[in-house]
Amino acid sequence: MSSKGANSYGQLGLGHREDALLPQSLKVFSCKHQSIKSIAGGGGHSVVITDAGELFVCGQNKEGQLGLNHTEDVQCFTSCTSLSSVCVIQVACGWDFTIILTGNGEVLSCGSNSFGQLGVPQSSEGCLIPQKIESLKEKVMNIAAGLRHVLAATESGMVFQWGTGMASRANRASQGKTIPAFLTAKEPCKLTGLENVKVRRVTAGSYHSVSLTDEGELCVWGSNKHGQLVNKEIFLAAPQKIDAHFFSNEKIGAVWSGWTHVVAQTETGKVFTWGRADYGQLGRSTVVDDGQREKVQRSSEQHVEQLSNVPVSVPCLAGASQIACGSEHNLAVVGGHCFSWGWNEHGMCGDGTEANVYAPKPITAIGSAKPFLIGCGAGHSMVLCQTLTFWKPYPALGTMGQRLSPLALGQGCPPCPRGPALGPRSPTKST
Amino acid sequence: MSVFHDEVEIEDFEYDEETETYSYPCPCGDRFLITREDLENGEDVATCPSCSLIVKVIYDQEQFVCGEVVSAPTASKELVKC
Repeated sequence: MSSKGANSYGQLGLGHREDALLPQSLKVFSCKHQSIKSIAGGGGHSVVITDAGELFVCGQNKEGQLGLNHTEDVQCFTSCTSLSSVCVIQVACGWDFTIILTGNGEVLSCGSNSFGQLGVPQSSEGCLIPQKIESLKEKVMNIAAGLRHVLAATESGMVFQWGTGMASRANRASQGKTIPAFLTAKEPCKLTGLENVKVRRVTAGSYHSVSLTDEGELCVWGSNKHGQLVNKEIFLAAPQKIDAHFFSNEKIGAVWSGWTHVVAQTETGKVFTWGRADYGQLGRSTVVDDGQREKVQRSSEQHVEQLSNVPVSVPCLAGASQIACGSEHNLAVVGGHCFSWGWNEHGMCGDGTEANVYAPKPITAIGSAKPFLIGCGAGHSMVLCQTLTFWKPYPALGTMGQRLSPLALGQGCPPCPRGPALGPRSPTKST
Repeated sequence: MSVFHDEVEIEDFEYDEETETYSYPCPCGDRFLITREDLENGEDVATCPSCSLIVKVIYDQEQFVCGEVVSAPTASKELVKC
């Protein structure tokens, strides 16, 4: 598994806190011969779920968001032992809190509760150990976390929201009108306005929410400051459908969200992006080479500014098998290659520079290693690769996943042909 | 493109009473910071110690007169007058 990007709190799991501009393999990560099922990240923390439902965590832990019953930052992936009796199937990382979905549809939470993000009846005190949200009675199938709010989609297709992150924006936009209860709830509150649809999946931006229905339609609500809701209003207090004509009348099969931009894939594999565009978040620029970077970027900025509130297909991402959004950057697996685009000040696009990436491009530093899983935190990126081409021969890696070749590892895999990836970020920084 | 990453209302910042500092999430994973003293002095740019992004703080300077403490946006305190 390799990580790149901001690393102020050790969220890259590399055992140190220096930023990484190129993918670096994890030296010390052992999850007892289990395969990794998914990777995710929050503001400053990272999580890994194994096929067996075990949760590994690292990074910032000031609010107890790692669920380890302490508040010390952790620089290497560590098993969340308090969850040893449950099977974790999904984790949604908010800014400084963590939401955990178990195989039997229960939801647990830990970390900061300053905005009621934990969905538990206690005060604003945070929680250092994941605790069950008892008020969610129906089986939950999918969860998502924004900066300061949480979404849960249930088996019958209802959506619950809690955490007051959107409330201040809703109040300012409502001009004195009453806002719906789900925008101010500190415990799970059923969404109103979704009665006629069945929601299967949810995703969240910093101050907006997106739900995907079983009919392949998107319903959105919350902040529309950057056109991320495909609407003219600055804030939507009630869910609204995004008309299918924006997606060539195709059904949506999957949707992801950055803090202020959204990425959706239709059932035929087309990938559409919309929302904030100024760091290249939408990846709509045509191919940018070094010689023309400045010129192309400028013209593309003007172009995408005009259309950023309208979903536009990004042809080079068509057929992507995976997509992950950080705050202002993205990863995708297309045709067996890992692509990145967007904000890159901390090297989260993995190209060895800090220059924003306006058109999706393959992460060449991964070499021929096949990306198996991808995941993003706010300002960091993680890629699990099938082969060990660029990995260092540390025995601990051999226990990381059965999908990796245990034989090669046991014998000591060859060192990375490119040598160790870059360490500290450049001390010089343009301002 | 604006020089500011965003413009953020002071009520959306979290306040740390020990350091007398307001903070707001930065996309890099760190936080934009501005002290109460800065606000009292009319400063309205919150900076991130880890990256180049800055945000403009939207606030009413009259509410930040020396000696007064504005209640933290996250702490629901009730003031009781006797």
